[in-house]
Amino acid sequence: MALLQRPFFVLLLVLTHQFMQYWIAFGSVNEEGQKQEEEFNEELLLKPLPDRKVLAHFHFQSSAPPSTSNGRHHHIFPKAISQLVQKFRVKEMELSFTQGRWNYESWGGFDPIPSSNAKPPGVELWAVFDVPQHQIDASWQNLTHTLSGLFCASINFLESTTTYSAPEWSFPPASGNLRYGTLPREAVCTENLTPWLKLLPCRDKAGIAVLLDRPSIYRGFYHSQRLHLTSTGSGSEGMVSGIILEQTLTVVLQPNSQRAGMAYASERHIQPSWSLTSIFGKQVSGTCVLAKSSNVYLLLDRGLVAELEHLHKENEKSAENGFTSQNFWTKPSFELSADPDRIFIEENSLHSKGSSVLYKFQVEKYSESEPFDLSLTWKIPVVWLSQQAPLHASRFLMGSGNERGAIAISLKSTQLSEGFMGANADDERCDLQVNVFQVVPWYVKVYFHSLQVFVNQQPKAISDIIEKIHVSPSKDKVSPGVMEMVLKLPCKVNSAALTIEFDKGFLHIDEYPPDANQGFDIPSAIISFPNFHASMIFLKDDSVNKSPLLSKFQEKSPVMSYTEALLVPLTTPDFSMPYNVITITCTVFALYFGSLLNVLRRRVAEEERFLKEKAAKKTGRLSLLLSKLSAKLRGRQWEPPSSPPASSSFINAKLVFKVILVAGLAVGWQYFFS
Amino acid sequence: MAEISEAHDSDSSKSTDNASEAPTQPESEPEFNPKLMRKTKPGLKRLFLTFSVLFSFLLGLQFLWKSVEIYRSPLPFREIDSLSTQLGSDHLIFPLHFHALFVGFDSDPDRLRLSILSEITKLTSQNPKCSHNYTLSVTVDSGSHCLHSPTTSPHSCSYQCGSITAIDFDQNDDVAIDERLVPVFGGKTNEYSVVVVKGESERAVVGKNRRAWVVVGSGREVEIAVVKVAEVLVKVFVNGGREEGSIRNEFMPVGADGRIVLSFNLLNADPRDWVYDWDFRKIDNNLLAPMIEALGPVANISVESQVLYHTPKASFSYWDQQLQSYVFSTKDLPFFVNSNEWHLDTSIAAGGRSKILQFVVYVPSAKECPLLLQLPNGEISNTNGFISPMWGGVIVWNPQGCLKDDNKPTARRTIPMQDLENMFEVFTGQFRQLFGFKSVNIYAGASGVWNLLPSERGFTEWELDVLSRQHTCFNLHSCASTLGSLSRLVQSLPRMIIMDEIGKQVKFSLEAAKLAQSNASNGVYESSAASSRQARSLAEDAFFHPSIMSVSYYSFEHCFAVYSL
Repeated sequence: MALLQRPFFVLLLVLTHQFMQYWIAFGSVNEEGQKQEEEFNEELLLKPLPDRKVLAHFHFQSSAPPSTSNGRHHHIFPKAISQLVQKFRVKEMELSFTQGRWNYESWGGFDPIPSSNAKPPGVELWAVFDVPQHQIDASWQNLTHTLSGLFCASINFLESTTTYSAPEWSFPPASGNLRYGTLPREAVCTENLTPWLKLLPCRDKAGIAVLLDRPSIYRGFYHSQRLHLTSTGSGSEGMVSGIILEQTLTVVLQPNSQRAGMAYASERHIQPSWSLTSIFGKQVSGTCVLAKSSNVYLLLDRGLVAELEHLHKENEKSAENGFTSQNFWTKPSFELSADPDRIFIEENSLHSKGSSVLYKFQVEKYSESEPFDLSLTWKIPVVWLSQQAPLHASRFLMGSGNERGAIAISLKSTQLSEGFMGANADDERCDLQVNVFQVVPWYVKVYFHSLQVFVNQQPKAISDIIEKIHVSPSKDKVSPGVMEMVLKLPCKVNSAALTIEFDKGFLHIDEYPPDANQGFDIPSAIISFPNFHASMIFLKDDSVNKSPLLSKFQEKSPVMSYTEALLVPLTTPDFSMPYNVITITCTVFALYFGSLLNVLRRRVAEEERFLKEKAAKKTGRLSLLLSKLSAKLRGRQWEPPSSPPASSSFINAKLVFKVILVAGLAVGWQYFFS
Repeated sequence: MAEISEAHDSDSSKSTDNASEAPTQPESEPEFNPKLMRKTKPGLKRLFLTFSVLFSFLLGLQFLWKSVEIYRSPLPFREIDSLSTQLGSDHLIFPLHFHALFVGFDSDPDRLRLSILSEITKLTSQNPKCSHNYTLSVTVDSGSHCLHSPTTSPHSCSYQCGSITAIDFDQNDDVAIDERLVPVFGGKTNEYSVVVVKGESERAVVGKNRRAWVVVGSGREVEIAVVKVAEVLVKVFVNGGREEGSIRNEFMPVGADGRIVLSFNLLNADPRDWVYDWDFRKIDNNLLAPMIEALGPVANISVESQVLYHTPKASFSYWDQQLQSYVFSTKDLPFFVNSNEWHLDTSIAAGGRSKILQFVVYVPSAKECPLLLQLPNGEISNTNGFISPMWGGVIVWNPQGCLKDDNKPTARRTIPMQDLENMFEVFTGQFRQLFGFKSVNIYAGASGVWNLLPSERGFTEWELDVLSRQHTCFNLHSCASTLGSLSRLVQSLPRMIIMDEIGKQVKFSLEAAKLAQSNASNGVYESSAASSRQARSLAEDAFFHPSIMSVSYYSFEHCFAVYSL
């Protein structure tokens, strides 16, 4: 380790004319770049769920404006992500790690949160590339390897062409350059979270991310960590496009009930009171100083608000007090430990059910001496239901045995949504459009002709229901089967079902995973409703536009839901098979040579004659004993032998010689091959 | 072959079986009844049968052999061996041309030449790997006429007699003298020249190009001049002015693919106290770009930067009342870099085998500011930084006055440009040290002190020559040893699949190595460095080809089971 004695370097003072020009050119770019700087925002949304649980949705957004030095010089934006975007020319990408399954029935399926943050279990990755068609696959394969290294996960298994597919139009951001792949069995844990946190400027050292206490969040019922990046168009010639990186973490947690002693029946109706400390075991002691905004939101969804309004009305009826929403929200039926900085009420034009309410808390106001610990205490029991997607989708397997089976997707109307669907139900030609996107691995050989459609339990002609279908059949060991469909169902449909039959294929011995007997996963199907948009529009305000989370809520994205991942048991071979093969080969060789030599060497007729001859003669004592012994060993009736005694010693010598010969051969064999 | 041995086994086991039933053996029985014995010898039929069985077996054996056959691309083993023996036995010889010019002297040039040569031989230490083949020419310019030695040297003809005089060296501006010397010896020659003049102010200077000059006082000037000339030629121009054993030549901070990524990191230990940012783009364009361009033949260098937050150091510092600052000492340095919290990620943009050098600016938090580095002798380091060979360098930068702005702690401040420039001077010095050069511009030799003129590009021309030579030598040896290992590995594993691609890479690597050798012996350093880099990177690519790793284990039993392939 050498230490520098004195500055060595003399700054070049004499700049050549050309150099001056460069200076000026870069100076002007800098001035342009100053307008937009790299930004970071952190937000947390909390939402009570109907089944006594709490949803926490962390939303971190970093953005890098278009600039000449993206991928090389960064101040807040993670360099690794920027280099990834530049190297693989990624236009849009989403990677999610999920543990557990989103419970669409009780946690809702219509809000922006389940619609874009409820993900299939394991890893899901899709990416849109900005490269010519023939380079997309190579880019995808390199991307999977890089992500695998970056996030400590086995994403590199998505490299093989059998695991990813190219949806044409049914996957929402669909375009020709999209690749989509899932790993349903990937286990998600802290080793995936730590590299994800490294992308945040403050990691989990300061700001809202402090709440991410590993034991608390991994104890939850659902855990989904997502990374979404979009590269925005480059501003001008020579500029590298900007990037918006959106990192979200959605957890569903069960708050520790503070009234544990109460009887079960009455406890059922009372929502548990909770605080940040009770669900995460930590408090927010200040913002991440690099964040432009740092907010915590509490969202009460439409169902809950409607229920509260109803309860409020009943209480106030005796007093004959006309209530305004303003009064109502300042005297709610629950208590918050901190005063909200703002209350947003959803602009409600479509839904009669009520409008959701959002409380905003600014973390900036709190400090280490006065940490932010939001708590919510219910004063009255409330029961409500979350808003559902128009149809509830589930998928299951039919049939038995290891040979064939069928996949069924069942869509059931959610009673609750009838209200808003009824609005156009009077119309004769009311249709409900449903997009289905399903990928099946090649070893599940789907017969597409066997597709059957049932509406309200009546079989229907396929052409009546399916408006558009795109099928790319699987190729053995090359590509998975992809099925994309657009269904047009009548609005008053109660239930619909799709079934399709398949044969189970055989795999090569080294294609089986280590735990082959567990079965093979069929990735979740994606059901989307393009006519329904999950968006929450709040009063137009500057503060809404500034918050990335709220502006995300305002985007019109189609309602989407994932079905369950299926587990198909396949015939598993005996994995000691190679050794059996070796044994059989060796046995066959031994039999072949043995019998061949026997046939060539022995003269059966001669021997028989000779034996008869010998039987007539007397035998010695030693050979008598020997033959007796051998007869005993063989379990045969002893016959008096007729071997001559004189030959025995000579035969023994020959035997010894042969044994030595065999031993010598064995030693030679060992020596040669070791 | 296995099948044959198997046959032996079964054969012999068969015969032992027969032996155990020995009493029933008809052969060699003395009491054998000749009446019942078949008289005729086994006929042609049996022989035919035996041979047909044997033949069919041999035929089948070929099919079996074919089915377990593997593909092996032919590798040029002989050429690999010849490359390593060539590099091993007769060294890689770089030709060097020295030129000594004595202005205002009237000695005999031949005598001067011989005495300089004897001094050079005294100073030269034999490098076991690469050596130099030097030629020396001496010119004595007595003002009116010039004398050359040897008279027919092809290298001394570029000097025009009488074009410089002792008056040129009277001025004290060394940079101007250096500029003045460029046209005198012709612009672009590869020879190293030393000018010796008589004058009042004795000094010895090495210029930015391949020139040096000595001003000697009156007295025993010729003897002193000869020693000095020999020293500057051997120690400075050939060895780069580095001490023996400072940083070994093997520690060349260049990746196996010939690339270096300079990753600059600004670490804010605690952003709650203050947040500093920098304008790195300006630095990159103004200060780093010329240096990177200069080092082009040696390595392909790219620059990245990032700012990280919440990155405390791992070692402790203590408050020094006298200095009014926090102090950490050199023995804490191994613990200064906090690998848990400093996530100086490897670069995705760089390839797998690139070398990444991390340069870190550490901004201490308010509770350890100002933070100073104490040298073992108790003094405070001027640069407040240190290097770690093959990893990079660290500089601690203390904000002005260490004042915490309590009103607006979160405001992002920018490091002043002047401080940044100072910092990057230190970084340039550290970078030079990582390459084995000195960070100070003075060379203290046995015969006196030489003043080295620094280049605005960070590396002077003769330093780049030294780097190129050293780099060529290192790369060629590394390439030869990698290819040698590959050929040994391939020959030791007869059942290893060798893809065509590996064969191609080996071939190209050998070609590049040959080109580098021929360029080196012609004295074209830059292109020899570039092609030696290519040779090494191709050799490494071949050795680390993914297909080699997958089949390096292949058990013999697999020959029996024809279930794959």
